[in-house]
Amino acid sequence: MNYVFHLIIMIEIYLILSYSLNLVMGYAGLMNLAAAAFYGIGAYAFSLLSMKLHFPFLAAFLFAFIFPAVTAYLISKPALKLKGDSFVLLTLGFQMIVFSILYNVISLTRGPYGIPGIPRPEIFYLRISQPWQYLLLISFLFSFIFLFLKKIYDSPYGLALKTIREDDKAAESLGKDSRKYLSQALIISAGISGMAGALFASYITYIDPTSFTLDESLFQLSILLLGGSGNLKGPFWGTLLIMLLPEALRMVGLPSSVAANLRQIIYGGLLIMIMFIRPQGLGGEYKIK
Amino acid sequence: MTLLIQLLLNGLIVGLMGNLIALSFGMIYRTTKILLISLASTYTLSAYIFYSLYKTNFVLAVFASIVSASLFSFLTDFLIYLPLQKRNGSSGVLLISSIGLNLIIINAISMIYGNEIKMISLNFGKAFSFGSFTLTKMQVIEGVLSTVILGLIYIVFRTIKTFKAIHALGENPELVASLGFPSRKLRYIAFMFSSILISCVAIMNAVDLGIDPHSGMSIFLAGAVAVMVGGIDNSIGWVISAMCISLIQSGFIWKFSSQWNDAITFTALILILIFRPQGLFSQTKRYEE
Repeated sequence: MNYVFHLIIMIEIYLILSYSLNLVMGYAGLMNLAAAAFYGIGAYAFSLLSMKLHFPFLAAFLFAFIFPAVTAYLISKPALKLKGDSFVLLTLGFQMIVFSILYNVISLTRGPYGIPGIPRPEIFYLRISQPWQYLLLISFLFSFIFLFLKKIYDSPYGLALKTIREDDKAAESLGKDSRKYLSQALIISAGISGMAGALFASYITYIDPTSFTLDESLFQLSILLLGGSGNLKGPFWGTLLIMLLPEALRMVGLPSSVAANLRQIIYGGLLIMIMFIRPQGLGGEYKIK
Repeated sequence: MTLLIQLLLNGLIVGLMGNLIALSFGMIYRTTKILLISLASTYTLSAYIFYSLYKTNFVLAVFASIVSASLFSFLTDFLIYLPLQKRNGSSGVLLISSIGLNLIIINAISMIYGNEIKMISLNFGKAFSFGSFTLTKMQVIEGVLSTVILGLIYIVFRTIKTFKAIHALGENPELVASLGFPSRKLRYIAFMFSSILISCVAIMNAVDLGIDPHSGMSIFLAGAVAVMVGGIDNSIGWVISAMCISLIQSGFIWKFSSQWNDAITFTALILILIFRPQGLFSQTKRYEE
């Protein structure tokens, strides 16, 4: 039963990541290769504040939003002057720099040794230690974040983002400041990715830089590309497909060493197939530019 | 000071190989506008084919490695990229399919050969020593071969009409087609030529440093950074920037440590993208600006 709880918890963490990336990619039309960097900044901010400064869970969780959001604000200023491949490469560069910092500033992050013993959440003297308790907590937080993002998606702001995505010049002619809107989307998305990072850190109780690599960014991107983006359905189906595929392979009885590679091969094949058949993904509405 | 000169000598050899990588990436990127991440898999595939055959026959291994890389490159364009572009696939769609292809190849190789580094045991004898400086024989071979190949490329680019047409294809594909040049054929040649260059680097690196399935990504990134920093329209710029990056990295190793190499490289990329998006040596702005 605990394994099922674990699976649902991981699905919910990845749903948060997918829906936050959906705001940037599906709604704002920006291909962001630094998703794992923001996820990592949130996870490290949470862990270090909890362990070194003994912040309570909710305060550290709040800062797991603030740190990546501020970083996204700083990077968005120059990044949004660029478009297309240049923007993609800039986010890729940022991802590599963040990884390098997490890996090399050993005095702060412990580098490749990682941070063990991250405290479990404690809310109003209630210590969350059992998987079912964690499931309840994360389900509550996921519902809250989901409703917040849904409100943004359905708001005039969400509609304005879609207009900018389709034709930024037309949106500007209607008085929409496209850079401001895109910057806000990037900030919100980064902050929420950071919160997912905090949840991951407090659940696994150990983090190291290998969880926040370029491969992880590509993995998160693949979820949206397969499932689709620009609506609520796409990220949901993408996350479910990607997170449950390993379980399906396990049922077939493949050894875990082969299954890990085979899973990646299947993702790769699906990505190419989807680009031919349905570039907007299985359930999405945004056709990649 | 002796250490600095030794590091600069090493940097010079790495820079010469970096020139080939930059030319390989730049040729495809300029001609097709595809951010070809699958160049990483061409590199890896080529290195592993060499690894599989070098004990049987060294010359055959080199030949098979180069031919298979070109064939792989041709087939990927024929079966994936060109059909997608014909369907008006955007640069994002092509990038994603390239990511998908890379996932398939890297994981297939990893399944067959495992993830650990494979060393190639070829004995080239003693290192060259002059004064306090030392270069291994493999470094000398790398330096000489890279210089010869660069010289050949310079002559080929200057004298052979096909390569001038490929250059023009990157500038104005419609005009090239209307002048009666077989643009599809030119594109295939560009793909194959690029893969020959990357294959040469793959073989030299495999002999010198060994191979692992994931080594191709850093090669792709090195090529992309050199081309973006040099400026997409200026192949001499790619060569100069690849060399400069390598020498700067050597300087950093001398003053600080090699652990910050990635951070330095990508910081340079971000600064160039922000302050001189057309690159250091290009006059015109990039097409998406």
